[in-house]
Amino acid sequence: MINIWRLTKLQLLSTFGLNKALHTKDPAERRKALLLSITIMAGVLMIGAFSFSYSFMMGMAFEELGRMYLLLAIMMAVTSIVGFFTTVYKASGVLFSYKDYDMIMSLPVKTSHVVASRVLQLYVMNLFFTLLVMLPAGAVYAIQVNPGVLFYLFFLMTLLFITLLPIIAATIIGALISWVSSRFRASKMISVVFTFAVLILFMLGSFNLNGDQQELADMGAGLGDAIFKLYPLASVYVDAVCSYRVSSLIFFIALSVLAFVLFSAVLATRYKAIHTGLMTSHSGSRYTMKPLQANSAFKALYFKELRRYFSSANYVLNTGIGMVLLLVMSVSLLFVSSEKLGVVLNIPQLSEYLSTLSPLVVSLFVVLSCTTASSVSLEGNHLWILQSSPVSKPTIILSKVAVNLTITLPVIAVSWGLLIYTLRTGWMESILMLVIPVLYACYSAMLGVIVNLKLPKLDWTSEVTAIKQSAAVLVSMILGFISLVVPAALFMLLRSVNGNLILLGYGILMAAVCAGMYRYIRISGERLFLRL
Amino acid sequence: MLTIKHFTKSYKGGKKAVDDLSLVVERGDIYGFIGHNGAGKTTTIRAVVGVLDFEEGEIEIDGISIKKDPVACKANIAYIPDNPDLYDHLTGIQYLNFIGDLFRVSKANRERLIQKYSDAFQLTANLGDMISSYSHGMKQKLAIISALIHEPKLLVLDEPFVGLDPKAAHTLKTIMAELCSSGGAIFFSTHVLDTAEKICNKIAIIKAGQLIAHGSTEEVKGKNSLEEVFMELIDND
Repeated sequence: MINIWRLTKLQLLSTFGLNKALHTKDPAERRKALLLSITIMAGVLMIGAFSFSYSFMMGMAFEELGRMYLLLAIMMAVTSIVGFFTTVYKASGVLFSYKDYDMIMSLPVKTSHVVASRVLQLYVMNLFFTLLVMLPAGAVYAIQVNPGVLFYLFFLMTLLFITLLPIIAATIIGALISWVSSRFRASKMISVVFTFAVLILFMLGSFNLNGDQQELADMGAGLGDAIFKLYPLASVYVDAVCSYRVSSLIFFIALSVLAFVLFSAVLATRYKAIHTGLMTSHSGSRYTMKPLQANSAFKALYFKELRRYFSSANYVLNTGIGMVLLLVMSVSLLFVSSEKLGVVLNIPQLSEYLSTLSPLVVSLFVVLSCTTASSVSLEGNHLWILQSSPVSKPTIILSKVAVNLTITLPVIAVSWGLLIYTLRTGWMESILMLVIPVLYACYSAMLGVIVNLKLPKLDWTSEVTAIKQSAAVLVSMILGFISLVVPAALFMLLRSVNGNLILLGYGILMAAVCAGMYRYIRISGERLFLRL
Repeated sequence: MLTIKHFTKSYKGGKKAVDDLSLVVERGDIYGFIGHNGAGKTTTIRAVVGVLDFEEGEIEIDGISIKKDPVACKANIAYIPDNPDLYDHLTGIQYLNFIGDLFRVSKANRERLIQKYSDAFQLTANLGDMISSYSHGMKQKLAIISALIHEPKLLVLDEPFVGLDPKAAHTLKTIMAELCSSGGAIFFSTHVLDTAEKICNKIAIIKAGQLIAHGSTEEVKGKNSLEEVFMELIDND
């Protein structure tokens, strides 16, 4: 068991530059670490406060109905479902793709312990989200219900296990996808396609589970049933925490632990075979010289970066998910009208909100698809090739921006066409629905690469560390969300002002910020690159 | 070809990795750079090729400052680090073509030179394979070929013989001699003292960031072997 912890600790130390921050003696690095910690803390506090106020508002409604336990049931189900979806596309990368595989596997450690340590890494990543959602919800429940001591005890005990089972389920799917993909030559691309297909199927499946729309709209009668139908374990959880049923508590914890142990043991039997299948390159050794095509430096860098992007299943899955979701949403709206959706969600003015706010909703998916925030980190040990090449560094940086735009702009264009058709927007809304997401695509791509140049993570052993757990990705994500929260808040605060006018003004501001960042890359790109 | 004047590089915390190093590599030179682990060889080499920023001193390539015009300097340099990590997601030929594009090598020249050097290193048949399938030695050969296809004036190599099989090492030595006889220059670090003694016309020995001996190979080693001189210089202190 101690080996599982040792291996997990080794991986966690490289997360978010933790070990570097703890051991650096350089004052500049310390300042950077402090600034980063403050940014993360501010982000956590902001999300925590938002989570609390959301729980509080829901709690008020449930208290009126006399069914406060539904608050914990919903939050627990949401945490589990979000944990599941965000783990499916990370699972394969965390389980199988890491550079120190040979070193780790040569150690006198059981394979099942190596697997367990990889799953625990996924668990810890999800635990933060669980705490951010469940702790405020628990606090609201405690304030409203004033429960006995057992509640606190059972609540804290189950808190650690809520996310375990969804992660195991997601990891099983991730491992299965890897196992199937490892048998094919183009294993990485097959893995990407399978994962996206599974995610879309599950999403559509969960929508269908809520098919009885009136049930969701009717808060009093069937919401509890709907939640328990969607995620049956929520009922066991509520029994344990709110009704203090010890048998449910034991069942809940035992099921989670048993699933974890069984999964680690079973995967261990095929672990090496899957890894070998995924990592084996096919070599023909029959090449004869053919005419070559000469390109400009920018074009060469662009195609190199594009190949890099599509060569990594982790990279595509983690940054492409936003674009896939955007397409799914745009296509779904063809079948469910915004008016109908408004009835389902009990928001009468949803149709009106959607046509005004949809540029920001589309932009949210764009911000989720920032490939540049890890593009510099992903150069890793290859960085010397670019550093020693006779190409201006802004050209290199802008080639990374161009790849991000290649991923986002076509999807923005397609979803724009679908959305203006389904939402029947006016000409002004239609223009804004295209221009604002395009501006966000430029903003997000340039912001990502600048933040990554300032906060590089070049010494990774697993790509996922750079793609998902690096400080640059976290900071650009937070800054991206802040840039979306501002106009959304303006909408709320300035209700009397025309929404299009607010978006137009904000669009001009975003265009100015983009121009500023482009200029910054042109002027300071060389210096930033040399400091890596 | 390469002039290093009073180059000093301090790392965070104030420790000097290289202290006031000056040397000149002229056209036709094969200049060996020797020192024990952590002596400052790689730091110097990384500064020469414009990969590492530095504050004190000056480094010029063919009369151009690497600080003031790095792009122009790099166009004349080829660099191979001690453990060249290449893009695993590209095939060998894609990587060479990519380097050809960055160094603006004409189509005809790159085809000719890729053919020439990949035949010399017996790598042509593997150029269509992904680099991820290459062995360490094959990656080393590919890195060397990529360094040669843009006909550099100055070849800077960090431990170039590590990982090469005897045939490839011999090929590299022959190519190094050819490059210098045609007016180029080579500056390389090595721990293989026998090889350095045989192929270098100039040697520099660095210890704890300071140059403790430099000049023609004959001057540095005198009547002893290079290994004896190196051990004596390193042990004395």
